[in-house]
Amino acid sequence: MRSSGQRACRPAYRGLRLLPGPQSAWDTRAPAPTYRGALGPKAQSSRELFTPPLYKQRYQFVKDLVEKYKPKKVADLGCADCRLLWMLKFCSCIEVLAGLDISASVMEEKMHTLSPLPFDYLQPSERSLTVTLHHGSVAHKDPCMLGFDLVTCIELIEHLEESELKKFPEVVFGFMAPSMVVISTPNSEFNPLLPGVVLNRHPDHKFEWNQAQFQSWALEAARCYDYSVEFTGVGHPPKGMENVGFCTQIGVFVRKYPRSGGSVQYEKPTEAVYKTVFKAVYPSLKDEKYLQNAVVSEVIFTAQNIKHHLMSKHEECDDDPERKSEFQPSVSSFSDYLGKLVVDKAMEPFVNGNEVCIPLAAIFSFPKVNQLCGTFEKLCKLIAGKVTLSSDGSAVVFNTEHETEED
Amino acid sequence: MTGRARARARGRPPRQEAAGPMAGDPAVAPDLPGQLGETRQPRRADVPSHPSGEPGGHGRLRGLESVQQERRPEGLRVSSGLQDLCLRERGGRRRDYHDLGVNTRQTMVHVQESKTGVSGRMIKLTSNHYRLTSRPQWALYQYHVGYSPEMESRRLRSALLFQHEEHIGRTHAFDGSILFLPQKLRNKVTELFSRTRNGEDVKITITLTNELPPTSPTCLHFYNIIFRRLLKMLNLQQIGRNYYNPGDPVSIPNHRLMVWPGFSSSILQYEESIMLCADVSHKVLRGETVLDVMHSLHSQVGEERFRDACAKELIGLIVLTRYNNRTYRIDDINWDSNPMATFRKSDGAEITFLEYYKKQYNIDIGDPKQPVLISQLKKSRNVEGTVVLIPELCSLTGLTEKMRTDFNMMKDLAAHTRLPPEQRQWEVGRLLNYIQKDDNVQKELGNWGLSFDYKSVTFTGRVVQGEKIFQSGNMVDYNPQFADWTKETRGVPLIRAVPMDNWLLIHTRRNHDVANTLIQSLYKVTPSMGIRMSRPTTIEVDDRTEAYLRVLQQRVTPDTNIVVCILSSSRKDKYDAIKKYLCTDCPIPSQCVLARTLSKHQTIMTVATKIALQMNCKMGGELWSVEIPLKQVMIVGIDCYHDTVTGRQSVAGFVSSLNQTMTRWFSRCVVQSRGQELVDGIKACLQTALRNWLKWNKCLPSRIFVYRDGVGDGQLHTLVHYEVPQFLDCLKDIGSFYRKVEPERSRSLEELSPRLTVIVVKKRVGARFFAEVGGGLKNPPPGTVVDTVITRPEWYDFFVVSHTVKNGCVTPTHYNVIYDGSQLKPDHLQRLTYKLCHMYYNWSGVIRVPAPCQYAHKLAFLVGQSIHREPNLMLSDRLYYL
Repeated sequence: MRSSGQRACRPAYRGLRLLPGPQSAWDTRAPAPTYRGALGPKAQSSRELFTPPLYKQRYQFVKDLVEKYKPKKVADLGCADCRLLWMLKFCSCIEVLAGLDISASVMEEKMHTLSPLPFDYLQPSERSLTVTLHHGSVAHKDPCMLGFDLVTCIELIEHLEESELKKFPEVVFGFMAPSMVVISTPNSEFNPLLPGVVLNRHPDHKFEWNQAQFQSWALEAARCYDYSVEFTGVGHPPKGMENVGFCTQIGVFVRKYPRSGGSVQYEKPTEAVYKTVFKAVYPSLKDEKYLQNAVVSEVIFTAQNIKHHLMSKHEECDDDPERKSEFQPSVSSFSDYLGKLVVDKAMEPFVNGNEVCIPLAAIFSFPKVNQLCGTFEKLCKLIAGKVTLSSDGSAVVFNTEHETEED
Repeated sequence: MTGRARARARGRPPRQEAAGPMAGDPAVAPDLPGQLGETRQPRRADVPSHPSGEPGGHGRLRGLESVQQERRPEGLRVSSGLQDLCLRERGGRRRDYHDLGVNTRQTMVHVQESKTGVSGRMIKLTSNHYRLTSRPQWALYQYHVGYSPEMESRRLRSALLFQHEEHIGRTHAFDGSILFLPQKLRNKVTELFSRTRNGEDVKITITLTNELPPTSPTCLHFYNIIFRRLLKMLNLQQIGRNYYNPGDPVSIPNHRLMVWPGFSSSILQYEESIMLCADVSHKVLRGETVLDVMHSLHSQVGEERFRDACAKELIGLIVLTRYNNRTYRIDDINWDSNPMATFRKSDGAEITFLEYYKKQYNIDIGDPKQPVLISQLKKSRNVEGTVVLIPELCSLTGLTEKMRTDFNMMKDLAAHTRLPPEQRQWEVGRLLNYIQKDDNVQKELGNWGLSFDYKSVTFTGRVVQGEKIFQSGNMVDYNPQFADWTKETRGVPLIRAVPMDNWLLIHTRRNHDVANTLIQSLYKVTPSMGIRMSRPTTIEVDDRTEAYLRVLQQRVTPDTNIVVCILSSSRKDKYDAIKKYLCTDCPIPSQCVLARTLSKHQTIMTVATKIALQMNCKMGGELWSVEIPLKQVMIVGIDCYHDTVTGRQSVAGFVSSLNQTMTRWFSRCVVQSRGQELVDGIKACLQTALRNWLKWNKCLPSRIFVYRDGVGDGQLHTLVHYEVPQFLDCLKDIGSFYRKVEPERSRSLEELSPRLTVIVVKKRVGARFFAEVGGGLKNPPPGTVVDTVITRPEWYDFFVVSHTVKNGCVTPTHYNVIYDGSQLKPDHLQRLTYKLCHMYYNWSGVIRVPAPCQYAHKLAFLVGQSIHREPNLMLSDRLYYL
């Protein structure tokens, strides 16, 4: 058994789970009926105490914050089963995601959900994204946590031993010093409304603070490290009991002054103490390799389409490709672009003996190719050696002599 | 019952199990209070399910051998380095792909001692099998883990148990009720106490239920799970059953394809040891979404045929989605819906697809008017319902039928996927190398006390003598090394040439010249074959299906020998209509030829020769033969065609020999809609086949050899327990029938009934053989037989490499004799099998499977693709389906 003294990060069970019903963030079964009385008749109709469940509300809170402030580098301390990281990986502003937890095994259980999917390789995205999971304690400093825009500590601090909690502000605000920090923790004033909660909501909680306790701790930390802090929360109290406050209290810390000269002023650069348990680099068009693949593929595909249209015009005239339809409202049709080609002589594809030549200029005029390469020079550079070109390098060349017979 | 409940039922200590009925039966789960009566939230369609582990899929209660009683774990969690990772195979284990526990050899007395042949010269071979080794006295310890009070959540059960790692160790596999450990706990029963975060005290009882020797089926399954974990640790990505390396893709931009190299692997008990069979596998992915495909289809076929074209092209394909790591099969397209439609989430809220994907995955759907795709979830997975997919968010995998027929595409693909022997083995070696080099993987293996031989096994095979080919009394002198006699038989008269006195040639005006060229060429090539040919009646038609049909209706008479149609395009509907008419309503052999095929000057004589031979076969001619020493033998070939497009029809082709030389074949087929068993129809086929044999030979065959192709992984059990008994029934019936018609010849029923042998033919096997020639690896020569080391001890099985390949690796064909009443020596059965691979008339060479299988395949394909019902029986004694 893990001795509780070892923990400096929130362990396996993340957040508030009120009753024996749901056991994991993945499992959304309704809680047992005992609780309903506590909130009076109105709540009885709702199967959940909170809808959506409180843990989801906390994650959504972070997600909304990310959507609003568009941080590029986000770290989740006490990332546990990586659920929040998984949600955040879909936020297109984020380029670096890091997780830290004291329990490697808890992270490992679900870390594969943070791996790129086959689709990510098939259609690499515009942005780059690196996801890293570290095994370590928030009481320790590690340079890998430097330079983040947002650090989240969702239901973390209440799991910290006193000694760890003491070091926590220095590590997070002093050392990591991100532009923004989000800290959430249970509000003990809400506990009487939760059935079955005698002392703490979870046996591993070392403490649960009331609003005043949390706020004074937060204000002190903010003052110390030049942050401003605002308080909010999720999980509204029942009507008439508003003074109890949110079920989960949240402090949002914003650094007052942009830090100059990096974070080295407090101490010398520390050595790495965290152990990396997972790292995934998502395929991205920022990576030359993927960009080249995408461009070559798009160029050849476009060229073949043009060739196909050209050849079918030569051979059969019975099919009329110019048919408008309701199915393609959002995509301007291929033939529209072809039409443009005819206007410009230099862009016109032509047949030369057994060869069909499609000028690169024509291919470049297609929006997808254009968008990928940006400039014509970049296009030429990227496809060099990968696509058969005419001797002067100005056109893609296909040989038409490879029709083969079949059985 | 859910998988969990089943697991619990299964995991009880044996003592308790014995008291009740069969464990694992839904109706008889041990009645622990509070277990079954609980309310469960109805599963949502797209929530991963916990399916039950059903080994055979069929007839679980039909008293199988003891091996099958021992249930395999269905979802293991492995710890130590990859703590708690759920090891349940993707999508649940629907089937036992390796047909473990089907123990057919024990019923065949004559192969108890030995199932190996003797003839041929020895050849040193190596393969892609690697021995799995475990430390001495290795065993896997299986424990049942009970909770008091009962804990419902599997996650919680694991979490509570793993608090006691100092007792159970860091290395463990746990599925919520069964715990596997590499070492034995001190006590048979261990009691541990945990506390939930709600402060509830829980007693955990860990009871030893089994000590599993390395060869037990449970262990085998366990090895496979561990191995898959290793592949995952090596950062390979699972798609379907195999693992692929996304970091090293080959892109084929000409066709917008991407090929991921990867590996297929299985660990099984082979003849002498447990081995890993690892092979290179390639996953073809497409760089376009379903919506892209729809757009390009639209511009190709236009508005009217658009929906049909989409259905044809897309239904049945497997897609990957952009937001999760799952694959779905497209079962339908809903044109009446679009991403603006709403659905109900698990919490009851209505939401549109647009909003859902935006909110959940931050994905903007570009085209709100696209139709949606429907994927049916398999019934067996304990989840009902359908999943709705957005075309724009789905990317296609694999090849469509259309792509497969695209010669250029396949050529481009083959350049990347057909690896020569040396390279193939090198690639597999690379995987083994990764395993050997990776510290984490080694640690994991070490914790379980397992390791691999990093050098593949070597053994000796035999190359049996090349078969002699006879054509009209002449023995054809060809080189068995090349397994081809096209050149050698040129200009040699056929065994039986059917004259073409009265035949039709139908073509369009545009193909007038081509038609003449064909006639002229046929005049040149037919005389040396011994075919008498008159000038055909040539008819010009418009290039429309109706025009062709009208001509057929007007001009085909019962005396017509054959109808030749020259088609100007490979449009399937025309071909289908012609074949359908001439196979059902008006049973006359037909030959369709593409005009393009005839338009090349250089190849016209080769093409004409081929067409002449093919037409001769279709009219009942015979080309060549091999020596068949056995007398009174009937050979049967069966293969299936499954309609992947509509998913509705299955067709079984049934072909049986009619004469001693096996040059004439009777055929029937069974068309079944979904849900029906093919076996009933097959029984009827066998009956008519026997009566026809009787007619041709004036007696019953003494032996029948059924070569059964088209058996999927995991279906062996069904075959052994349903199909074979039906065959036997049928043979008994025909015995009594024969005694009634021919009482004077009557002997005992026993003697009269033909003796049956059923051989399951499998072309898609993971095994590859390499001949070590001069320090390098080459494909083994045709005629190579392997019946040791890499065969399975519980089966009477062997491999034959009968054909050759120009590039890449030759795939051996696996033959599994599941029933053998013939009492033939293994050597003779192997030889017979190899001989039959020489008898396919559409290819003047040796093929991969016995000819009847290939004929059955051709027939089933024609019926499944074009005709959709059983062809007219008037044609049944000819190879009209070639």
